[in-house]
Amino acid sequence: MIEVNNLHKSFTASKQKVKALDGLSFVAKDGEITGILGPNGAGKTTCLRTLYGLLKADEGSAVIDGINVSDRPLEARARLGIFPDKFGLYERLTAYEQIDYFASLHGLHGAAKKEAIEQVIKDLDMQELAHRKTQGFSQGQRMKVTLAQALVHQPKNFVLDEPTRGLDVMSTRVLRNYLAKFKAKGHCILFSSHVMQEVAALCDRVIIVANGKIAAEGTPQELCDLAGEAVLEDAFVKLIGSDEGVAA
Amino acid sequence: MIQLKALITKEFKEAFRDKRALMVAMMMAVLAPVMIFVGSKTMIKELVETPPVYAKFAGAEYAPKLMKQLKAANILSFADVPADEKILWDERNIEITIPDTFAQNMLDGEMIDIILRTDYSDKAINAPIRRIKDEIRNYARAIGYKRLLVRGVDIRLLRPVNLIEQNTALPSSNAVFISMMLGLYLLMAAFMSGLPVAIDSSAGERERNVLEMLLCQPVSTLKIVLAKLLCASSVAFLAVVLTLVLTSFSVGFVDLTKIGATFSLDAFTVVVLILLMLPICFFASALQLFFSFQAKSFKEAQSTVTMIIMLPAMIPMALMFMDDKPKWLDWLPVSGQSLLMEDLFKGIPINWAAFGTTSLVTIAMTVVLVVILATRLKSEKVVLALS
Repeated sequence: MIEVNNLHKSFTASKQKVKALDGLSFVAKDGEITGILGPNGAGKTTCLRTLYGLLKADEGSAVIDGINVSDRPLEARARLGIFPDKFGLYERLTAYEQIDYFASLHGLHGAAKKEAIEQVIKDLDMQELAHRKTQGFSQGQRMKVTLAQALVHQPKNFVLDEPTRGLDVMSTRVLRNYLAKFKAKGHCILFSSHVMQEVAALCDRVIIVANGKIAAEGTPQELCDLAGEAVLEDAFVKLIGSDEGVAA
Repeated sequence: MIQLKALITKEFKEAFRDKRALMVAMMMAVLAPVMIFVGSKTMIKELVETPPVYAKFAGAEYAPKLMKQLKAANILSFADVPADEKILWDERNIEITIPDTFAQNMLDGEMIDIILRTDYSDKAINAPIRRIKDEIRNYARAIGYKRLLVRGVDIRLLRPVNLIEQNTALPSSNAVFISMMLGLYLLMAAFMSGLPVAIDSSAGERERNVLEMLLCQPVSTLKIVLAKLLCASSVAFLAVVLTLVLTSFSVGFVDLTKIGATFSLDAFTVVVLILLMLPICFFASALQLFFSFQAKSFKEAQSTVTMIIMLPAMIPMALMFMDDKPKWLDWLPVSGQSLLMEDLFKGIPINWAAFGTTSLVTIAMTVVLVVILATRLKSEKVVLALS
């Protein structure tokens, strides 16, 4: 379970203070896919980076399975599977070697590691890619490798920052199916995206973030009802445009 | 331990699969012996041989014996210059004027004025001028001695003091130029060879968006830095060892006995050099990682870090021009190792206290760099620079 409590974070850019997070709070429960929706610059990536322990909040806390990230970042990260905003690959390593590398970083070794790697390769249907160097991989293939390395240690919590960006339909489907399977196993999934259809189809609960705080929260249907719109996209625009009275 | 092993394995796999970077890294090791070989050959040639000098003579016909002596010393007339060197010697324009009264003045015992006219500021003709002057003086001195001898004067009267020069240099110190080059190349190899690996594993990884992924993992930044340091410094150390092996092999093809010099890298020297260079390899890589992690892009890292490799070239050069070297130079990285190498090559017994101190100071500075870097990788500035 991921809990974010009253997160505040400011940056100073060109002597001007920019408030990226302004008291953001939410809970992503186990066995659910929680979506974070928000316009560009709303604070999604800052929030997720605070969750990884890369940024320190000015105020508030991020807690993963009861572990406060700022107090024990390494323990908290061990419980996370991360699919970051910008994902790159080690292009001189094969896909298998990359997954192996991340499995070892999470402390897996010996037969258990081998089994975990083979399982994730099978689940993502990437046997043909496994022993090829990742240089020249397509966007979909790169996504699969990143997904595999983030999930090889079977993390209880999985955080994805706009994972479907640049993916074709087939690759998006692979990702969706895999997330659905993960959810069924009782894992906690936090998912940030710009694609409304995807969020509507996949997420159990949606958190709409604007100006560093929550603008609205609920199931996709609840959000549509709240905004009085039939489609999530229209609801999103309405909620972002006038959050007055909605968050209450 | 599992994490550190994985980090190190991955760094080595990446470094050794990047053939181009590895080739650049090892270039220094191959280049050094070749340069030393060519440099030694050229130096021997200059010291041993007396290449022909061409001068424009006026009145050569008045002093046939002088001309014969000059010819014997390979100082020839401009008329004999080969076509390919004609422009060169014409530009050098060494003119020697012998007066038409030469024979008569010689007979009368009067002083003869021979004029040597050229551009004395041209460094390239220093050696030819010195040879011409020596030869004419020898000719004049020989005639002068004969004049005194036939008058029954002991020519030893002309030398009230006889300076006896005794060279105490050990045979190997005659090969100092080779040693100095080797010392410089070893330092350069330590600084240059790990460079592509250090930049690629820091600024390169940042640019390829893999650094953020790594920093999100449950692994301490100290382990990340240590793995990268070990890999880059191993490549640097490999280059140092290769430079040593190839140099001792290539110097074997140069006949140093021609200039009374010997050069050999015995097992002791090699071991001392390797022990001396090991901390420097770590220090150089730590310095490169430190600066390239701060750089915003691969290109910026390349330009900043490349400046660091000037260090090993500048410090030994600066040391050469310093007569009174401050004591602390013995302890600092690069300068300490450079001075110890100089002693080692000259055959002076090793100052083990200085050896230990400079090695410890180098290691301590490396540790400080690693700790600061590991702390910086946790800082928000680094994370914010990722995007």
